Amino acid sequence: MKKLMTLTLVLALSAFAATAFAHSPLCDCFDNGDGTVTCEGGFSDGSSASGVKMYVKDGAGKVLQEGKMNADSEFSFKKPEGGYMVLFDGGEGHTVEVNGADIVE
Amino acid sequence: MGSANLLVALAGQPNCGKSTVFNMLTGARQHVANYPGVTVEKKTGHFKLDETRVELVDLPGTYSLTSYSLEERVARDFILRDKPGVIVDVVDASNLKRNLYLTLQLLEMEVPTIIDLNMMDVAERRGIRVDYAGLAEYLGVPVVPTTGKKGVGGDDVKKAVAETGRLAEYRAFSIDYGALEPHIEKIADLVAEEHRMAAAYPARWLAVKLLENDAEARELVKEYHPESAALFKEVERRRVEFRESAGIPAERHVAFSRHRSCAEIAKRFVRVPTERRRNLSDLADRYVCNRFLGPVILVAILLVLYEVSIVFGGWVALKAWPLWGGIESFAADILPRADFLGDPLLRSLGVWVVKSATAILNYLPIFFLLFALIAILEDSGYMPRMAFILDRLFRRFGLHGQSTLPLILGGVYVGGCAIPGVMATKAIPDERARLATILIVPMMNCLAKVPLYLILIGAYFADQAGLAMFFIATVTLFIALPIAKLLSLTVLSKRESAPFIMEMPPYHLPTMGGVLRRAFERIWLFVKKIVTVVVAVAVVIFVLINFPGLSKERMDYYESKRHAAVTRFMKAVDKTSYKGTLVAADVTNLILFEEDLKNAKRGVTDKAAAAEINKRFEADNPVFYSVVKRKGKDGKKLNKALKKVVKVRKKLRREIRAERFESSFLGVLGHALEPVTRYAGFNWRINIALLSAFAAKENSAATLGSIYGIDGSDQSVQESMKAGETGFTALHALALMLFMALYPPCVPTSIMVRMQSNSTKWMLFSILYQTALGLALATLVFTGGVLLGLTGFQAMWAFYGLCVAATVVMALVPHRERQETVVSSSNTKNCFEGGTN
Repeated sequence: MKKLMTLTLVLALSAFAATAFAHSPLCDCFDNGDGTVTCEGGFSDGSSASGVKMYVKDGAGKVLQEGKMNADSEFSFKKPEGGYMVLFDGGEGHTVEVNGADIVE
Repeated sequence: MGSANLLVALAGQPNCGKSTVFNMLTGARQHVANYPGVTVEKKTGHFKLDETRVELVDLPGTYSLTSYSLEERVARDFILRDKPGVIVDVVDASNLKRNLYLTLQLLEMEVPTIIDLNMMDVAERRGIRVDYAGLAEYLGVPVVPTTGKKGVGGDDVKKAVAETGRLAEYRAFSIDYGALEPHIEKIADLVAEEHRMAAAYPARWLAVKLLENDAEARELVKEYHPESAALFKEVERRRVEFRESAGIPAERHVAFSRHRSCAEIAKRFVRVPTERRRNLSDLADRYVCNRFLGPVILVAILLVLYEVSIVFGGWVALKAWPLWGGIESFAADILPRADFLGDPLLRSLGVWVVKSATAILNYLPIFFLLFALIAILEDSGYMPRMAFILDRLFRRFGLHGQSTLPLILGGVYVGGCAIPGVMATKAIPDERARLATILIVPMMNCLAKVPLYLILIGAYFADQAGLAMFFIATVTLFIALPIAKLLSLTVLSKRESAPFIMEMPPYHLPTMGGVLRRAFERIWLFVKKIVTVVVAVAVVIFVLINFPGLSKERMDYYESKRHAAVTRFMKAVDKTSYKGTLVAADVTNLILFEEDLKNAKRGVTDKAAAAEINKRFEADNPVFYSVVKRKGKDGKKLNKALKKVVKVRKKLRREIRAERFESSFLGVLGHALEPVTRYAGFNWRINIALLSAFAAKENSAATLGSIYGIDGSDQSVQESMKAGETGFTALHALALMLFMALYPPCVPTSIMVRMQSNSTKWMLFSILYQTALGLALATLVFTGGVLLGLTGFQAMWAFYGLCVAATVVMALVPHRERQETVVSSSNTKNCFEGGTN
């Protein structure tokens, strides 16, 4: 019995670190050509990304803008001057980083 | 024999190189089907022996020929009922002692047998010498050395088959069963009294089987013997008598006698050099099977398994996604175009089916890594040790040491998948434990349940998120274990329970090729079985959630909304130079043009490539392009209007989807169930979400989101759930989480349950009992919590205590004893001296 408890305890502790799960987060960004960028999010299994936190950071990692995916799983923001990156933050194991330089018009 | 046709069966234990022998004999020309009524694969091939056409049937690889596992039953039934003219028993020359266990049982059945001493190259490399002439003389059957992998010895086997096929007489080999012999003799005499029976089956073999209490042998007797009841009574009397005088049950004595016989034969005819490796294995076992260190090593290995397959595999899955995404967009491209409000049926069905398939294919990297790691565990020889360490524990709950792997795959701790979990139960030799495992694997925390847990914990247990996750991750095991015990004491009590016979092979460094081959084979099997099933099921679910569809009034309502939006857009058009160029009928195409452009650029990071795509679209339709890309003053103006109409379209489509779902067959059912589920704290919205999750658990989070109608505000699902469901408390959330944990297996898992249990009844049982259990526990927690005035957090731990207590109590409930026999190829007893009883 004691062994059962010990075993479960160890297994359970590992569960804390184990919030990664397998549907993959997806995020694609498009330059609208009018000084704004729109990102579309979602998950590989078709789940909506609505409500997922979004961050726009500059080259130094400073947060310039933040917001959330809307009901259509979209997030639009003003394109910053200079280098930037977009972070789709769907929780641990579910983040996507998009480099601003990779966002084409 | 001399007839023009000869039926030959190829028997052998797993990993004896049986398939290489099969290929060597038939030239790899084979026909694969299933044995009648079961899912065990039946491989058939042909070859010519002079004028005789030989049909070669590959029997499933089995260690033994009892009637405990499906494979063993299939193999034995084939030998008994199809009566092959010759049986070629393939044995691993480098591991003769273990392989003889099957050989002796074949010889006891008095079927014409030849022994194919395979893998001679491996034996030679290890310096093992087998005196096969002596062995042939002793056993009274031909022994042919081969190396199937290199195609050496095939002709000798064929020659032996031809000779054996011609024999009229067959000399049986008898194992000395010592103290049981007088009983065997008496029972054999009784069996032989019935002539039809004695003609069909060897009396001595039947007598031994009856004394072993073998279910299939009893069936045979019932079939043939007019006085079976009296015979059974006599058998039972002698079994009791033997147990009293010898101190162990007859079946155990029989197994021991066979093993002793194998050991004697091996000792006499096999020369093994004093091996260093063997000694190293023994040394390693001193730690691996140690009472205290053993479990620690086990947990460490499981952690590595988890990290590599789930965490690293998840990362690989993300990297591989563009492949599946590509399939999705390809399907979207070739299907009929979308409309403003709805899609043509063919499109929505097609997209749905492809989406359902890719959602599962996305997990392939995880499964591949998992299968490869399992192959490593198996090949290295650790797997049986793991089963051994945990058997002592699992036995108390009616499970088996080999239930470990299915439970891990299913997600003992958060993150698994019930499909491979149920699939892995195949390895459990004990019918009762196998079914019990199949029935509890879906209760584990599969990956798909996690998003819902996260939503609910985020919304209602945000302050104690870590503890709440700990609760849900571990409580399922404390529910599953007592349930397994309960099931094996009740519905499963009549099922066969096999003695725990575990062989401890020496440790072995797995080869890259072997591991990859096994992983690929399994992944291919998985893809074949699951994807086809998922596609079929997706169609059914599609109908359930889309029909009967919206009423005409509602469609008219949405149509008027569409009309208004288009009219607004056209007003904007008329104020620009586009007046006359763009008409109302163009609006949908314009929107689709914009979407196509976006999709074409998805994943493109190169500016030149993007410009190329732009050019192509501009050439395609310069007018649309100028609006979408905001060319000129009017283009900019109109682009704004376009954005508005796109937004309206998305909103309308979302609303239609939700409304159609709510009025669909599944939605109606959700409403109808509310009176029952009320006590568990579920209203119809939650019912609908749960019903759709049955199709695939991933749906639940998405569905909850869409049902709670997030209205374009920047609320998250959690927030709108809190706001939308006034009076929805942490207690509700807890009940919901528990129900989700115990909720019936998703459809693909149910199909897998059907395949592995080989019975629709068990599949239905697993769906129904889990639903009932989930509802009962959710009701207990919710109604109990309300009555006692507990908060969600208090109820959580009260329930946890209850489950742990139930586990302890169930562990102490006595159970029908299952015997345990550990057979070691090594000389020391490090892995089984720990005491088994």
